[in-house]
Amino acid sequence: MVAKIQIRNLRKVYDTPERRVHALENVNLDIQDGEFLCLVGLSGCGKTTLLNMLAGFVEITAGDILMDGKTLTEDYDKGVVFQEYALFPWRTARRNVEYGLEIRNVAPEERKRIALEHLRLVRLEEFADFYPHNLSGGMRQRVAVARALAFDPQVLLMDEPFGALDAQTREELQELTVDVWQKTKKTVVYVTHNLSEAVYLGNRIVVFIPRPGRIREVITVNIPRPRDPLSSAFIEIQREIDRLIRT
Amino acid sequence: MQHAESVSPPPDFSATKKKVVTIRQRLRPVYPFLVIMLIWQIAAMQAKGNLGQLFPTLDAIAYRAWELITGPLMTALKENPSLGFFDYLYYLYQSPLLWHTFHTAWRLPFSFVLGAIFGVIIGVIMGRFSFWESFFVPLIAVLLPIPALAWVPIAVIWFGLGSQTVIIVTTFATFLPIVMAVWTGVKTVNPVWIRAAQSMNANKMTIFRTVVVPGSLPMILSGFRIGLARAWRAGVGAEAFAGIKWGLSAGIFDAQEFLDIAFMMVALAVLGIFGYLLEKIFFQPIESRTVIKWGMMEAMGGQERKV
Ligand SMILES: Nc1ncnc2c1ncn2[C@@H]1O[C@H](COP(=O)(O)OP(=O)(O)OP(=O)(O)O)[C@@H](O)[C@H]1O
Ligand SMILES: [Mg+2]
Repeated sequence: MVAKIQIRNLRKVYDTPERRVHALENVNLDIQDGEFLCLVGLSGCGKTTLLNMLAGFVEITAGDILMDGKTLTEDYDKGVVFQEYALFPWRTARRNVEYGLEIRNVAPEERKRIALEHLRLVRLEEFADFYPHNLSGGMRQRVAVARALAFDPQVLLMDEPFGALDAQTREELQELTVDVWQKTKKTVVYVTHNLSEAVYLGNRIVVFIPRPGRIREVITVNIPRPRDPLSSAFIEIQREIDRLIRT
Repeated sequence: MQHAESVSPPPDFSATKKKVVTIRQRLRPVYPFLVIMLIWQIAAMQAKGNLGQLFPTLDAIAYRAWELITGPLMTALKENPSLGFFDYLYYLYQSPLLWHTFHTAWRLPFSFVLGAIFGVIIGVIMGRFSFWESFFVPLIAVLLPIPALAWVPIAVIWFGLGSQTVIIVTTFATFLPIVMAVWTGVKTVNPVWIRAAQSMNANKMTIFRTVVVPGSLPMILSGFRIGLARAWRAGVGAEAFAGIKWGLSAGIFDAQEFLDIAFMMVALAVLGIFGYLLEKIFFQPIESRTVIKWGMMEAMGGQERKV
């Protein structure tokens, strides 16, 4: 079976007047349909750059990204969840989730139905008519996940989506993310600093090293779900990644 | 434990907002006026002779206001005691105070709307096209600190004495702060919102309509507020110098010649009430239905509740 996303000899150089940053070099990676892929690495090793190239936000310097065998176009359907709170304050939770459907000209009744369905998926159905400022940080990110999934995108791209949340809320949302992924069977690319989070979530974990940003190793996590962060297998993989990141 | 957030019922945010306001609380802003009026009345009652004319008691002012409003009606009633309903309206309409008020009342909103339209159009163009941005910014930066009133003498020479000059000055005074606010608002819309919309494949026009406009609304509304305040000052000032007969401040300046303090006080009170009503019936409803409801802005005039 051919991979959902194929990344071939990808390179990214940022050319700014002040300096030239070699952000990514020789990145080769196959992302399978329906897999949960985590990207980890020290700060500045190009994780966000790769995700933004997958999202079509950042231009490719050299190499290819193929989606279902075809060169990636800027306007393919992808759901993106940002680290910052990116909900529109002037729309209720439900109307936020409807946004992508509006862009795709889905009829209002249908939009509403799909939006409520996705709010139920993130367990926020009863908050549908709340404005974002009346929701907690964790709830806002759950609405953001619902919004990113509502228009049935081909991939879900998440860049440290829970980085700004407290530890307890974060754990809660990790559990929810696995649940959502199992129900929707989406291909997920998830950037994180947090190794325990990566091992908890990922089918595979791509370990990046910096200067220039490149792949050190891809690790497959074969621990059955739900995973116990205190089990020895879990800790073993976490330790292994920690070692790889620093070499 | 995991789903604690969603199992508990939604917190009732409406409860905190719909706090019952007692009549006593509502009347609080009125007390300072009562105190001032009391002091005024006592002081005015001590004044005698000429001084009494310059410093009229409240009942004298109230009587004058009554006279100003009903004067033509009373004269007409003396001649013909059986007036119809529409005659009443007609003669009330002839009263100098209402006539002054009416002139100020159409010129000001008219000029404000005109200035706001220009301000929004140019502000949006500046926000979107860097060429026009660099073209207009220096101009506006130089013009903004000049009080609009300072333009009146030149405007009178260029446009002549009359309403048109008042309107032009007022429109200009409104335009400047609004263009600044709209430009800043459009430029400083949170880029995360724009990226979120882009990630869902919204095109530029859609992003402008669904993200930039609502996202810059707090800035735009505060620009309107400043614009209205500036328009009010400029318009009222220009009225006095543009050689027009009708308009509240034109009336005040005329009354100065006759030492008609009571008229001046009444006209000032109308100006004050006017500004207050514009705030109450225009800005506050718009804000509480939009930016305040969205949590993008704190309620203005919140001190009323805090006191
Ligand atoms: N727009 C840009 N212009 C110039 N350089 C950039 C730009 N974006 C990123 N870089 C540089 O590219 C390198 C990789 O950045 P990137 O944001 O992809 O790292 P990251 O792995 O996501 O880091 P972090 O974990 O801190 O988010 C960094 O050295 C960064 O300074
Ligand atoms: Mg990053």
